[in-house]
Amino acid sequence: MSRSVLVTGATTPLGVAFVNSLLADPEVSNVLALGVEERPAALVEHPELTYARSDLRRPRHIRRLLSGPVRELGIDTIVHTALHRSARDEGGAIHKLNVESTRLLLRLAAASEHIKHFVYRSDATVYRVRVSAPQVLREDHALELTPDAPQWVRDRVEGDVIVCTHMGLVDLRIMVLRCAEILAPNMGSQLADWLGSRMTLRPMGFDPMVNLLSLGDASEAMRLAVHSDKQAILNVPGADTLPISRVAERNGRRCVDVPGPLMGPLYRLRGRARKGDFRYDLNHNRFHFSMVLDGRRASEVLGYQPSHPLQWPAVPAIRG
Amino acid sequence: MGVPLTFRLMEKRYLTPELRAHLEGLEIADTGHGFDSFGLNEEWIRAGAGVFAPLYDSWFRVDSTGIEHVPTEGGAVLAANHAGTIPIDGMMIWNDVLRKTTPPRVVRTVMDHFVNLLPAISIIFGRCGAVGGSRGNFHELLERGELISVFPEGLPAIGKPWSDRYTLCDWRQGHAEMAIRHGVPIVPIGVIGSEEQLPTLMRLPIHLFGLPYLPIPASPVPLPTKYHIYYGEPIPVHEDYRRDQADDADVVREASERVKAAVAGLLQRGLSERTGVFR
Repeated sequence: MSRSVLVTGATTPLGVAFVNSLLADPEVSNVLALGVEERPAALVEHPELTYARSDLRRPRHIRRLLSGPVRELGIDTIVHTALHRSARDEGGAIHKLNVESTRLLLRLAAASEHIKHFVYRSDATVYRVRVSAPQVLREDHALELTPDAPQWVRDRVEGDVIVCTHMGLVDLRIMVLRCAEILAPNMGSQLADWLGSRMTLRPMGFDPMVNLLSLGDASEAMRLAVHSDKQAILNVPGADTLPISRVAERNGRRCVDVPGPLMGPLYRLRGRARKGDFRYDLNHNRFHFSMVLDGRRASEVLGYQPSHPLQWPAVPAIRG
Repeated sequence: MGVPLTFRLMEKRYLTPELRAHLEGLEIADTGHGFDSFGLNEEWIRAGAGVFAPLYDSWFRVDSTGIEHVPTEGGAVLAANHAGTIPIDGMMIWNDVLRKTTPPRVVRTVMDHFVNLLPAISIIFGRCGAVGGSRGNFHELLERGELISVFPEGLPAIGKPWSDRYTLCDWRQGHAEMAIRHGVPIVPIGVIGSEEQLPTLMRLPIHLFGLPYLPIPASPVPLPTKYHIYYGEPIPVHEDYRRDQADDADVVREASERVKAAVAGLLQRGLSERTGVFR
């Protein structure tokens, strides 16, 4: 059955890749791409594509959007991918985008007569990673609900929980996709930021396994979710599972081992000096303990199989 | 992090051509970069076999009986007695199964969580197949049809007093539950030699890297006790119980007691057959 899709966060690399994949899909009749910035050049010109500027932090913008172009274009599916991408920014405005916009979009979508599907792009940050945790995580793994977790994590968990708690409560088919880290620039990837210098630091004596997702696989998983009539929470792993030291190596970075307790102070200093976005406090556990998403449910429910490995180097070389 | 040079040199020095050829038959669930999703890596396995070879062949002079009881394919739980201050028993079982099964099988040793907090050790063990002792890991590996080795006496057994050697401590039941749930057999193992290798003099309440205590051994190096590994007949919990009985505490207790009795029987046999601690 043909779908008309609203895509939030359409100006990110993932948004662009996803919108372009929808436009190539004959089962999609209309795409309404939403971003706060000017229309990106990477979005192809297409008669079925409408681009709208809207600030999801403003409830009025969301209401206007739902009562305007969403209704006019007969949108029946919302794919909500918008998340703030800088880990250093915190505060109410970020929370509005990450959490409150999700809550309002869900409420308005549920009240709408023509919107039937809601796909939420969550990520693996929501899972609690500890020494006692399994290395391959299923969807029922504990969420990171530690009260002192940074806002970056809290917002993502809250957004995920909000969407999950609506399953069965509202007349919408809801799909939550917990994506592995998308290793690409401008995607809010902490690992991409970690690779933002020629020399990367790693806690001495630890080399955990990480699973990485490509833009191609992430957008394919979302495309499959758009066409699914099922309701589910699904992990979306990528095709690349490797030790963190290999991630640095494959991107041409030199990995220097430093004693674990020095990692935090060194990255704080580096952050102050170079305005990097990498925060070691967000990544402490994943730099010590392996975490790989189990994608069997996504395979069963969506028929999703990671098939687009990353093209190395996934993060551009440092110049100068 | 690649295999350290020292390990490569030991591999070159101690891995015999026969063993090297045998390890050519290794198969791991490579996810595309040479590792399985737990971090197991073929190069490290070969290096590990090389590093452990002098201990296995010359220091502990390991011999084993009953390797035919270890399935050549499909999942199984190997349950053994545990002792010796440092987990050499686990390493020797890992080596023995790797060398004597065809094609070579890598035992996934279940470690206490604190091992994953130890710098470098966590990498070495992880690359050679060991995993943290969480239910999720156990579950995942059995679903993949892997061999898992557990020590149901747990960490307390490793610091067992000399007077309690070859006496089984409190026997945990998780291995029996998981074996029933996943429909796999349990192979009991009796390890002789490990319980005299490094008597503990005292335990210091130092919790470095999450260690439960710091053991002070009576000898600076493990004693060259002779290792005898006895693999018992598999206990067919997968045939004797239905999978849904994994939630029945009485059934799980009964199954784990059967395993405990089998291990105790193998220890009795081993102790009666050996002619001395070092022979």
